[in-house]
Amino acid sequence: MKTSRAARRVRPPGRTLRMIVGLATVVALAACGPGVAANTGGSGEPRSGGDITFLIDSLGDTWIPNNSAISSFQGHIWGHLTDKLVYVDEKGEVSPWIAESWEQNTTATEFTLHLRKGVTFSDKTPVDAAAVLANLDIWAKGDATRGINPIGLFPKTYDHAEVVDPATVKVFFKAPTLGFIPTLGYHGSILVSPKTIALPAAQQADLANDLGSGPFVLSSWKEGDSVVLKKREDYNWAPAALKHQGAAYLDSITYKLVAQPSVRTSAVQSGQADVAYNPSPQELKSFSDQGFTTATPRYLGFVNGFAVNTRIAPFDDVKVRQALQHGIDRKEIISTVYTEDWLAPQSLFQSNVPGATDHSADFAFDAAKSDGLLDEAGWVKGADGVRAKDGKPLELMLYANPYLATSKSVDELIAQQLGKIGFKVNIQAFDVVTYGERVKIGSPSVAAYEVTRSFIDAGIVAGVLTDANKGENWFGLGQTDQKLVQLASSVASAESVDARAPLLDELQGHVLQQGYFVPLTQIVQRIYLQSPKLQGVSYNGIAYANYYAAWLG
Amino acid sequence: MNRDYARYALRRVLQAIVVILLAYVFTFVVISVLPGDPVTNTLRNPQNGFTEEEIARIVSYYGLDRPVYEQLWDSLSRLLVGDLGISLRSGLPVGRLIGDVLGSTLLLAGSALVVALVLAFAIGFGTRYLPKRYGQGLLRAFPSLFLSVPNFVIGLVLINVFAFQLGLFRVIDSEGGLATFFAAIALGIPVSAQVAEVLIANLDHEAGQEYASVARSRGLGQTGLFLRHLLKPSALPVVTVVALTVGELLGGAVITEQIFGRTGIGSLVERSVTTQDLPVLQAVVTLAAVIFVVVNLVADLAYPLLDPRVRLGGAKPRDKAEVAR
Repeated sequence: MKTSRAARRVRPPGRTLRMIVGLATVVALAACGPGVAANTGGSGEPRSGGDITFLIDSLGDTWIPNNSAISSFQGHIWGHLTDKLVYVDEKGEVSPWIAESWEQNTTATEFTLHLRKGVTFSDKTPVDAAAVLANLDIWAKGDATRGINPIGLFPKTYDHAEVVDPATVKVFFKAPTLGFIPTLGYHGSILVSPKTIALPAAQQADLANDLGSGPFVLSSWKEGDSVVLKKREDYNWAPAALKHQGAAYLDSITYKLVAQPSVRTSAVQSGQADVAYNPSPQELKSFSDQGFTTATPRYLGFVNGFAVNTRIAPFDDVKVRQALQHGIDRKEIISTVYTEDWLAPQSLFQSNVPGATDHSADFAFDAAKSDGLLDEAGWVKGADGVRAKDGKPLELMLYANPYLATSKSVDELIAQQLGKIGFKVNIQAFDVVTYGERVKIGSPSVAAYEVTRSFIDAGIVAGVLTDANKGENWFGLGQTDQKLVQLASSVASAESVDARAPLLDELQGHVLQQGYFVPLTQIVQRIYLQSPKLQGVSYNGIAYANYYAAWLG
Repeated sequence: MNRDYARYALRRVLQAIVVILLAYVFTFVVISVLPGDPVTNTLRNPQNGFTEEEIARIVSYYGLDRPVYEQLWDSLSRLLVGDLGISLRSGLPVGRLIGDVLGSTLLLAGSALVVALVLAFAIGFGTRYLPKRYGQGLLRAFPSLFLSVPNFVIGLVLINVFAFQLGLFRVIDSEGGLATFFAAIALGIPVSAQVAEVLIANLDHEAGQEYASVARSRGLGQTGLFLRHLLKPSALPVVTVVALTVGELLGGAVITEQIFGRTGIGSLVERSVTTQDLPVLQAVVTLAAVIFVVVNLVADLAYPLLDPRVRLGGAKPRDKAEVAR
């Protein structure tokens, strides 16, 4: 009796302990492996109906169309709410959309756009010449008196546009602008109702007032939380390139902000959502092993790489710049930081850009060659492995680009690789705000600016490589490199794509041979993890997923 | 007492107004000295490729290139007519932004407070009711444990177990009933620690008083003693602590809302801080100051009415912290 009572008294703490241990185990197990959703994907015929949820890490800042359309996040929503004049696919091929056809004069200074008839905005106002004209004007000039920006990268040579008849617009430029037509398929060139354009900025900032002509219309939205789109039943003007006509298959798309990357991917794995945006590259393989679809579309643009400021010593010496190019092992970057879905660069342009040519030999990894170049340039290796010349160490400061999540890991690897050839590399990582303030192209403290920039037409290079026409002057050369100046200006003023191709090729070769640009890898800035049930997704030239022709299997 | 009380109340109200105005100005100054602003930051996104000239033109439209004191004066004069301004980040009126999310945060904070109180009183009761040899020691360790486990860890574990494993709620439907309940648990647990600490200390103190010994000697059981004699005097200081946890609840909401994907004041603050959206931050800090000050004011003003032992006696009101101890 006595013993049993004592035993009973002792038991409870034991039980509590066991319970705690048990609970802890459950929690630990639960935390380890999120449930694996069944792989029920399969082929079959597209079917109508169904709703998808897209988990996104941010919904950007403002919804004023001009000020927001360039955002990596809001572009997803604009792509479904609005149409563009032309469609640009992932290979950079331009095809008709709202503009059924177009002509240009021989000098590429005048373009005539013929518009598709019967297209309407969701408020039923027609997408006619007057509406297109209003859009062109606001894209090109913005409206500083209302706080509305011009759209980024719209040709600065734009002069004006004229309505010829309700279905024809004529556009005039001050100088040859071959890039005009492709630019109409870029992020920012979204057609919105003239009524929206006329609204004050504070009202345009309310997404409910931003009306487009796209296959989806706004159902509801909550700032910083979600945007719900529903299909537009009478939509009937999709680009032929998407291989589907009429209304979208899906009934609705919900874009929901979930800041935690692990919550986004776990939600897709557990079947609570259909798409997770921007999972970490290293996790992709395990997702596809589990039967999920992953997509790493490349955008058209510059590869990820460094623009070297030639005004900063020792990078004023071409041998030091070339040593930098040959000292980076791109294969190791891809196998360490990324997966085999990432491609090694062939030029300063992504290889899917029309006009990009293979110049990989000019900057191939060759540590011995780098060592030789640095020896020739007079940089002597010291006892600590760091080279020095006239008592100054061979130093390089890298600023990790906050717009690319993997940038810091890549920089750390590069620091090791360059360390082997005698560089002392320091890395500085800032948040977006501080980065924008401190790290600018051409600043005397930034010897290597990490480029992540998309564009639709390679003609853009003319505006960034030198300081001609208020160009960005990426390499700090100004007008000093006559060959570059001449190549850039002839690319800018080229009157046809065929005439421009050899010039572009020569330009890429020159920039890379001179070591002005140090390519790292081809860039993938938008990564998708997707339920296997979701099919028929297409990606455009700026790597946005388009769900117009998508359906749930 | 009445005249004293009125003077005391008036002084506290005036103090409260000064605190709120100072919070408004202080936020402005702190954010203004930081480099950068949302307008410039968006324009500087390398994807845009804008020239310095284009950037300067837009920045001047927002008046961000004017001297700080002029901007502060504008901001203050707007506040006096009740205009909170336009968010620099989203371009929407600040009043609308806050109005849209305030309800969600109040619901979360309110539920978390309920969770915290239930937990704290359960722990408090347990420390008296459970026999000393086991339950007590363990329960007394709970508040320190609750305080030391970070809020976001609790949140992530709850989501993993209850949303992804058991499927009780969907992370997408973050404002749903069960989702709110679990978010409230994540937020309420650390808050309960502070309440429980004070409650336990007071229960111990009251249990050592003569009246408790008398009650016990008259054969009153633990439960009866707790409910009838110890609870009320021990719970009064909790009023003060609860008022102080308002800050904890608002601060914790930033993280909890982030983890659970809720849109509330917390996530609005997070977005506004990272983009330096000055008008929104000013409004939110001021709102937090108003809530904090009002709740504490109500607690202070109610205290003398609730507890007859607290007299305002002529000069100064007794420090409420003293009572709590």
